[in-house]
Amino acid sequence: MNPLTSSAIYFTLFSGTLITLFSSHWLLIWVGLEMSLLAIIPILMSKPNPRSIEAASKYFLIQATASMILMMAAIINFYNTGQWSISNTINQLSSLMLTLALSMKMGLAPFHLWVPEVTQGIPLMSGLILLTWQKIAPISIMYQIAPSINYNLIMFMALMSILLGGWGGLNQTQLRKILAYSSIAHMGWMMAIISFNPSLSILNLLIYMMLTINMFMLLYYNKKTSTLALSNSWNKSPLLTSIILMVLMSLGGLPPLTGFFPKWMIIKELVSNNNIILPTLMAIMALLNLYFYMRLIYSTSLTLFPSSNNTKIKWLFENTKITPLISAIAIASTMSLPLTPILSTLY
Amino acid sequence: MLKIILPTILLAPTMWYSKKSLMWVNTSIHSFIISLIVLLSLYHAEDSNLIFSPTFFSDPLSTPLLILTAWLLPLMIMASQNHLKKESLVRKKLYILMLISLQLFLIMTFSASELILFYILFEATLIPTLIIITRWGNQTERLNAGLYFLFYTLIGSLPLLVVLVYIQTSTGSLNFITSLYQSNILPLTWTNNMLWLACMMAFMVKMPLYGLHLWLPKAHVEAPIAGSMVLAAILLKLGGYGMMRITTLLHPITSTMSYPFILLSLWGMIMTSSVCLRQTDLKSLIAYSSVSHMALVIVAIMIQTPWSFMGATALMVAHGLTSSMLFCLANTNYERIHSRTMILARGLQSILPLMTTWWVLASLTNLALPPSINLIGELFIIVSTFSWSNVTIVLMGLNMLITALYSLYMLISTQRGKFTYHLININPTHTRENTLMMLHIFPLILLSINPKIILGQLY
Repeated sequence: MNPLTSSAIYFTLFSGTLITLFSSHWLLIWVGLEMSLLAIIPILMSKPNPRSIEAASKYFLIQATASMILMMAAIINFYNTGQWSISNTINQLSSLMLTLALSMKMGLAPFHLWVPEVTQGIPLMSGLILLTWQKIAPISIMYQIAPSINYNLIMFMALMSILLGGWGGLNQTQLRKILAYSSIAHMGWMMAIISFNPSLSILNLLIYMMLTINMFMLLYYNKKTSTLALSNSWNKSPLLTSIILMVLMSLGGLPPLTGFFPKWMIIKELVSNNNIILPTLMAIMALLNLYFYMRLIYSTSLTLFPSSNNTKIKWLFENTKITPLISAIAIASTMSLPLTPILSTLY
Repeated sequence: MLKIILPTILLAPTMWYSKKSLMWVNTSIHSFIISLIVLLSLYHAEDSNLIFSPTFFSDPLSTPLLILTAWLLPLMIMASQNHLKKESLVRKKLYILMLISLQLFLIMTFSASELILFYILFEATLIPTLIIITRWGNQTERLNAGLYFLFYTLIGSLPLLVVLVYIQTSTGSLNFITSLYQSNILPLTWTNNMLWLACMMAFMVKMPLYGLHLWLPKAHVEAPIAGSMVLAAILLKLGGYGMMRITTLLHPITSTMSYPFILLSLWGMIMTSSVCLRQTDLKSLIAYSSVSHMALVIVAIMIQTPWSFMGATALMVAHGLTSSMLFCLANTNYERIHSRTMILARGLQSILPLMTTWWVLASLTNLALPPSINLIGELFIIVSTFSWSNVTIVLMGLNMLITALYSLYMLISTQRGKFTYHLININPTHTRENTLMMLHIFPLILLSINPKIILGQLY
């Protein structure tokens, strides 16, 4: 893409999300969401082939519908309360519509079916932006309206997301779909805590973003998009297999890695609010997620898959892909658990 | 505690930056030195524990297990030298790195005073063990074994996390030292029964309890020697140690809730011993014998009398050393004939007589011959279960009989009789292997002279 065009597009994407984050007027929030939607469409289609065009159109349709429902909710709120500024007390109908619209935007069950297909059809780096950056705006809106969200609805959607995110990923071998289902499950964890302590959702989002950025960069390093391709990486970049092991275990929430920290804090927050069966169920359903990460780890790091060459290792070419700070983020995403006392002051 | 933890952490750079010729030497010698430092924590003043900091403490229950852990690392390193001979240097170093990190987590687990720190490190021991079993095991079944191991333990322990957080939010602190001064009596409601179950199931899976023991034969058999050693000797004891710690918080529900588990353990102890009599796979036999001994420990912890706790602690330490030694002996067989089948290597007494000595000593301690500490453990447990209910003496007696039967069966079928003809070109016993066996049996025999150090805090 022409550098001028692509810089305009990325700038629009960036500022769209920022407009949503900074504004207090409902229409401007909608404007920000639409800006980021329109700007991401060319990014999704950066390698034009029928699959990515289909993915981009699916994404556009779902997100546009969600934005329209959000606009309707804002107008109903104005009709009932007479003000356009976002506040945390909105009436029930608007809050219901907003919850549905924002869960469509984020890919929360039962509106999660678009996430795997869209993520699969687009290149790796666009998938990264889709799964990490695009979640910031809807979650920030949820953060602001958190006290008015219908508790039963959001808990049901969170639980369904964790279950369907874990269950749906079990049959996948394509890595982008695996990461999409992982995103659905993590969104479930974030939404489970939003009624109790919204700052913890943001913390979970940040840690999830760090882990996903790490995962995508590791996959982008050698352009691996399927499990079979990943299982050859012991041959091409053996160090990467160990890092993939650590990052995937962290994503699965195993102590003593960083990914355990948000789950632990969410369980702590839920239990302090006398909600005991739900975190137990959520924690056990997160094991489904761990199962397919384990399968990836088995084929990548813990076994030596049959490879296509006779020598033990292939020729190591110099890396030409942009993978900034891969080692720093890898360390941050696996070894930050001892920083728990500091991180818990963040919420 | 830092004088033990910091050297263990720094074992990793010592090993990683050593020259190829000195790597095994450096690691073995330095881990021996660390195990000597741990012995210093044995001295407990009257009526008080060693409280190193708000985070770490060691009392007469955790001290023997700490010493066992520290003692086992050099033994594991010595035992792994042969099967790692052909690997590249980086892979050898990765393997030892897994052992060192496992050691670190285990030392911190046994000395943690906060129960959530204990939980995090308890789960953390899973990752290096999983990597050792799955990456360096020898058969294709190791993949399944690793998954069973990981998921059985995790499903049991996630409710434990929730309950620990609940106890922390409702009582304010999970620090074990201060909780001894609280006298919270849990009322007998069905929710508290659920709480008891959630606390205990993690450790029941780890011990393992008879119905949940499916992961153990798989994991023990498929693991390489260091993995089998650490699994049998220490990781099973994590379950027992955790149970002993957490039952202090769960009074008086244990007296009503423990019946099904005592039942399962008593029955399971006999079942798994009987299964040992029909095993063809040597490591599988030793794995099932571990289940049987640990079932005794579960019964002892569940009936909660002073004698039974003393017996449980003693049996845990004794079984750790014995089982680890048996796995090392089975490994010496495996390295020579590359098969675990017992009948393929018979009559070894004619060929390797010194090894027979070690086989005899290991089998005799396994069947709890007096005056070894295995006998002291089992005897205390038998006496206390007899006082709990007179009928159990029948089951315990039957178990001791069957244990003797399979230990002697294992001994006789590997050592006695005419040797098989294809054994003519096996290597003689390495000095390293003899040293390994002696280092296992020597503490076991010495402890029978002064067993009060392993009798735990109720002595």
